[in-house]
Order: sequence, then structure tokens, then C-alpha cells
Amino acid sequence: MRSEYRGSRAGHIDADYIDSKNCVVCHAGHYDSWSRTYHSRMTQDAKPETIQGDFDNRIFEYQGITARMERRDRVFQMTFTFPDGRVESSRIARTVGSRRMEQYVTEQNGQYLRLPVAYDLVNRRWMNLNGSFFHADGKDYFGLRTPWDPNCVFCHNVKAQPNYNFDTKKFQTDVAELGIACGACHGPAATHADRAASPFTRALWRLSDQSARDIVNPTKLSPERSLMVCGHCHGQRVPQPIDRIREILGRGDPYNAGDDLAANFKPVSRETKVGDYSFANRFWSNGSPRLTAYEYQGILRSACFVRGEGPNRITCLSCHSMHDGDPKGQITAENRTNKACLSCHKQYEAQANLIKHTGHSAGSDGSLCYNCHMPRVVYGVMSVHPTHEITIPDPAVTVSGLVPNACNQCHLDKSVNWAIDQSKRLWPARFVQTSPSQDPQFNVAEGPRSLLAGDALTRALAAEALAGVGPGRPDPSWASAWLVEALRDDYPIVRFFAANGLAPMWTTMSKPDYLNPADCLSASDRCRLKLDRLLTERMANDAPMLRAKRPNVDIEVGE
Amino acid sequence: MTGKIDGNDTPKIVDRIAKQGWVSLALWMSVGLLLESLMAYKAPSYLNDLQRRELFRLAHAHGSALALLLVLVAIWIRTVEVKISGLTVFALRFGAGLLPIGFLTAGIWHPEGDPGIAIWLVPVSALALIFGIISLSISKRSS
Repeated sequence: MRSEYRGSRAGHIDADYIDSKNCVVCHAGHYDSWSRTYHSRMTQDAKPETIQGDFDNRIFEYQGITARMERRDRVFQMTFTFPDGRVESSRIARTVGSRRMEQYVTEQNGQYLRLPVAYDLVNRRWMNLNGSFFHADGKDYFGLRTPWDPNCVFCHNVKAQPNYNFDTKKFQTDVAELGIACGACHGPAATHADRAASPFTRALWRLSDQSARDIVNPTKLSPERSLMVCGHCHGQRVPQPIDRIREILGRGDPYNAGDDLAANFKPVSRETKVGDYSFANRFWSNGSPRLTAYEYQGILRSACFVRGEGPNRITCLSCHSMHDGDPKGQITAENRTNKACLSCHKQYEAQANLIKHTGHSAGSDGSLCYNCHMPRVVYGVMSVHPTHEITIPDPAVTVSGLVPNACNQCHLDKSVNWAIDQSKRLWPARFVQTSPSQDPQFNVAEGPRSLLAGDALTRALAAEALAGVGPGRPDPSWASAWLVEALRDDYPIVRFFAANGLAPMWTTMSKPDYLNPADCLSASDRCRLKLDRLLTERMANDAPMLRAKRPNVDIEVGE
Repeated sequence: MTGKIDGNDTPKIVDRIAKQGWVSLALWMSVGLLLESLMAYKAPSYLNDLQRRELFRLAHAHGSALALLLVLVAIWIRTVEVKISGLTVFALRFGAGLLPIGFLTAGIWHPEGDPGIAIWLVPVSALALIFGIISLSISKRSS
């Protein structure tokens, strides 16, 4: 007979949570599908079976500091040698992330710290975290060595309890389970598991509704509560009221899946301030999120949520599926088509209506709903993502608030004013009041304009788009000329996308280290010699004017 | 059905038990062949569903074993010449027939983590079988 789960952790706020291994007894299929997701491996104890980074005595040099990554039997270690000869070693205790980047956490006197060197799983190389966040060159090497206990722990594990002692100023962190496991979305399951031990109870459950089962199923919740389950982590938030931070750090996260998130937290917005700290830079000027982990805010601002009613009100699960499809994005193949949108907007099932609505030919990227209504204007973990604020494309937002518009995400070689003219032609009723801008920068092709005149995040998005990663596939010889220019940027993350977009160049010369500005400058000079002379002259003409418009804004991502 | 079986009816009853045994044996061995084919051709609907695999195997194993049991019962009744009641015969034939069918149908459709509703045939059939075997074991010789 199965053991009793209830009360096994009495006195803790996760008293009724159970380890996901206990769920496999009945839910083997769901356990398997969850095991394939990146959620399941979000936080792991450091072991040879879990670590993906190359610890085979590798060296990574940056800002004069040498990091050596070594493995001794089952122990992984990072050793930093400073220019003055000082040596500092950190044993890897845990890893965070398993898809794009593997970050490392070390333990010092019971306190967990994120190390500043991480492994780029896509490009298979070591990097300093300064290369993934938005800071200009020169950011302190250890600037992103931040405590794990009051930060990462909340969203990368189940039921975080930092147990901060305000007298000793020490954390004694505990979690119900490392990683984003069953409890994160289904809540405490001890009662459910205890009752499920009886075959008669299970037989009765088959005949009754969800509420009888003592477990949360996000697909059965109201759209608002279902969104909150995901929004708990995919919607950066502050305690509500703010001074509850003492309770949360002292005892733990009060939220359980299925609860009213708003009773405990408030999603941050462009207007949110904590003391003097403002979150404004994490949002575009119109309030739309521009970083990942703000998807909840995006959906809450979308007409599909605001105006949707009953089963037609959008939730995360309208498109995403936690137990089906590709673990990358957790979307089924059919939901990568227009299917999810057409379930409500049925009028566009007819191809003629779709063509008339989009102004693009059927089957083209321009006829995929999300390319226009969810443009790729969000940055997170060294990649660019579709926004989750579902909007009507409007090129004028670039003029009014320097917000990237959907049209020029593909039409990179066309200006914003061109996009405004086309919008007036294709959708005259909607754009009757819109006029082209008199500012000459908006007569320049938007790819190069945003690459040179935008703030760091806009420039990074432009570099990625010019590299042809998104739906816009610009002429490579034209785009390369501008990407070569972007190698001269003073933000490593912009150079990262530019260097990746110039892959054909690196067949005849070495790929520069994007973290090293001198290396990138030298590579840019060498690449310029290979460019079309007319293009180089054009750049020399436009670049100073565009750079003069550039705002320099540091953005701290997600901390 | 429930009364004592007349001595003249015994050969008929024995034949029926033996016939059900041999037919069941042929049927459940064929099911075994089918299961091997599903494995040989890597049928995902069988191989990827552990619950279904378990239930189908149980159906095959119990079906074959209980078919042999019926044959043995028929031989034993004829050899030892015991007096058995109609209820005993019914319990044995009902239990041996429905128990593997319960496993099989519970595996064809089932919710995650549990067998299908037809699994309830298994305990009912098992009780009938146990009753049949006990009453057979305490049956008196006809002479």
C-alpha cells in the first residue's frame, strides 16, 4: 500500500506538495512528456548526468581574468585566476537552464550564488553573462554573480522558501522540488495522491467532475486562473503590497497553482517602481513588454483576452501544450499554423478572405497570423521571441514611440514611411489618419535604421532580423554590409547577433569573440574590404546620422 | 443449472467444459501470436502504452492458463467421477471465460494510469473461479 503523503512536511508552506516521482505511478504518460521538457531540467543538482557544459579543463579568458572549467570524478569546478595572481575556486552545486544557456550555481556557507561564467549551449562555448544581458562593454566581470536564494529560486523550482533570517542575514533555502515540476502547475497533491490510492475513489473520479479530485488542472480552470498559473513565472511581478517581501523572503512564496495570483502579487509594468528602481526600460514606450518572462503582461493587454468571452477567451493553453508537441516552445505542429487563431476568427478560414485581410499571398509568411499580430520584438536568453501582446500591426508606432512594427520585421529593406504608405493602401479605413513621418531617419530602410539608431535592445533585434533568423529573409549580401557595421557596436549582445549573422564570412577568416570589442572591430575592418563599394559608401553616408539618434539605455534582464 | 447434475448428464457437461477449454486455449494462444506480431512490427499503440501491454499480457496468460484449467477439470471429473453441481460448473465456465476478457477489454480503452472499466469483470470472475474450485475440491465421488 502507498504511504501517506499528507503531513510529511507539516509546518512548512509546501506541506502538501509531493515529489513528481510519486505522480508517475498513475500518470506515466504525463510524467514522460514533462520529462522531455526544458521545464523539468530548469534547476538540477550538478552531476555528470545533468551537466552539459564542457568541463574538460577548458579555459575562458575575459577582461584579463582566466576561468578554468574542470571536472574531477563527479565534482565540477570553476577556477578564476586574476591578473594579480589571486586564485578563487568555486565548486558547482547546481545548474540553471538546459536549452540555450547553462548557468552555474555555487554554494558558499550555505548561501547559493550564480557564477558569472555560463555555457552557451547553442554555440557550444563559454561566455560571461555580460554577453547575454544588456550592458555596454566594461561591465564588471562579477557584476552578474548574484545570489540565487532570493532571485532564481522563485520561478525555477516548485514552491520556493528562501527562509531568510533578517537577523543573521542568511538564507536557508528550501524548495518542494528542484526544477519546474508537477507541483508548479498542479499545486499541492498530497491529498490527491492519498485518495488516489483507492481504486474505488479513482473509479468514482472518472464519473465526477474535476473539483472532486483535490488537484489543480490548468485546462479546467477559468481563463483568468489558468493564465495565472503560467503568469506566476511568465509575468515578472512584485509582492502586493510591496512590504510583503519580508513574508515571502522569510517564509516563502505564498502562491499555489489555482490561487488568485493578484491576491499576492502585482505584475510589473512600465510604471512600476520599487524605491528608486524603475522597470520602465523593460517595456516599449507604449507599455508592451520587450523581454521574456513578461508574457502574462502581454496577454493581459491583448484584445483576445480583454474582449474574449467564455471559451473564446485566450489562455496560454490556447496555443501552448505542456504535455504535447515540440519541447521547444511547447507548441504542437498544428498550432504553428493559423489553427489556434482560426478557432475564433473563423472568417479567415476561407483563403480569399485571408488574402484580402492580410494583403499577402496565401501560404506566405505574411499570411501566418502570428508573424503580423505577434511580431518578434521580445528578447530573452540570447534569442528573439514573438511578443505575447497580440496587436494590430501599425507602422506608425515606430514613429511615435520607436517601437518596432510588424511590417518592417520582414520588410527590413523598406523604410517605416514605406510601410505607412502600404498600410494606407491595403487598409485605407484603418490608416486614414496616419501620415508618413517628416523625420528623415524614417525614410531609411528600417533594418539598418533600427540597427544603428535604436537603443541596445532594438539594435539587437535588428541584428537578429538582418541575420535572417526571423520570418524576414533579407538579401544576405545587403544585410551582411549592415551586420559588419554592427560588429562595431559597444554592446556585446548586439555583436553576438551580428557575428552569428555573418556566418559565411567566417569560412575564410576567424569568427571574432563577440565579448571582445577589439576583436570585433578588427573583424569588421577585414569584412569591410569584402563588401560592395556602393554599399560601403551608402553606410558611410547614413551611419553617422542614424547613430546620432541612438539612445544608450542599459537594461537589466529579469533580475 | 443450480441443482445437482444427473449422472446421465455428466458426459455432456464434461464435453462442454472440455470444449470451452480447448476453444479458449486456441483463442488465447492466437491472442499470444497477435501480441508477438504487434511486438515484431513495433506497433506503437501496443508498445508505447505500458498499461495496455500489461493488461493484454495478463489476458493472454490468464486466458491460456484458465483454458488448460477447464481441460484439467473435465479430465478430473471424468477420471475421479465426482458429483458436481450446476452452479459449480457455471462458476468455473463463467470465471474462466470472463476473467481474461476483462483484462483484454480493460486494455483496449483505459484512462491514464488505470485499466478501463471492464477490469471490474476480473474480480467478479476471480470470485466465481475460486468458488468453483473450492466446491469442486469438496465434491463427493458419484459411486
